[in-house]
Amino acid sequence: MWYELLIIMHIIGTVLGVGSATFAEIHYTRFNSDDIITDDEKKTLALTYTVMRTGLFLLVVSGFGLLLYLRLTEYTDLLTSATFLAKMTVIGVLVGNALLLQARIMPFAVGAALSLTSWYTALVLGSLRDVDASYIEILIYYAGAVVVVGGALRLIRAHFHGPKNV
Amino acid sequence: MTPFLATMLVIHVIGGVIAIGIHNVTLMHLLKKSPNYVFLSRIAWAAVALFFLSWATSAYYYVTYYGTAVKPRILAGALPAGHIFFMETKEHIFLVLPFLALSIALCISYLRTNPDDALRKSTAFLTLIALGIGAATAGAGIIVSGSV
Repeated sequence: MWYELLIIMHIIGTVLGVGSATFAEIHYTRFNSDDIITDDEKKTLALTYTVMRTGLFLLVVSGFGLLLYLRLTEYTDLLTSATFLAKMTVIGVLVGNALLLQARIMPFAVGAALSLTSWYTALVLGSLRDVDASYIEILIYYAGAVVVVGGALRLIRAHFHGPKNV
Repeated sequence: MTPFLATMLVIHVIGGVIAIGIHNVTLMHLLKKSPNYVFLSRIAWAAVALFFLSWATSAYYYVTYYGTAVKPRILAGALPAGHIFFMETKEHIFLVLPFLALSIALCISYLRTNPDDALRKSTAFLTLIALGIGAATAGAGIIVSGSV
């Protein structure tokens, strides 16, 4: 029963995180199209980021719960698999990125691309369980995806931006 | 492993992870120019309690079970570095964490009545160090478990 509960919690965390990361980008692109973010729009964005942090909290706590379950049931092979270690690295990037954005050290465009790509990468790695690639290979694909997503977000924002301010 | 030892291990891991998460939230708030020190001092003291709880339960688990039942299996297995490097590093560095958490909580309690921008920045830096050590400790714990 514990295993099922942890899996459900893990999936809810991922869904909240991926969904809110997606809507954070949609809202930001829509709200910033006139270069003015109103107080109401700021509140909507703040709420979206709160949901994202809640998702991250659920993901991390249930993730460690699952690790404990695997340790107590002696099924520890997964803990050293490339997919699992890559997923942990991506979650670490998500947390670090949030801190750097808060400290205004990370440029927003880079931080947004990292956040969105990291959430989807965590989802994909969690769904695939085990892939035929090494830890380094997975991280190279991930870095490539960050660049592609960053470029796509730039094009999307330029497309929806008001003509006067382009 | 007895149910009691399993409970000790669960408290150690979950307590530690939540305490690390609290330091993450604390750092996010300390990076603001005017953080809510009442909220921050409450969660900072909660982190202190959780780190000491995590510390005490891990000590019991280590002394009564790990050394005799787990350590020999890791040393004889495919990843002996799980104990030789990661556990040895973890058990020494983790000693620092509860006291770092205590220092952070004391600084924030002082800031609550005496706001000071320089101290806020220094406390944020100390929290960043605690967060880094906490994350490294958690990572080492995963590798140790994976080495069994």
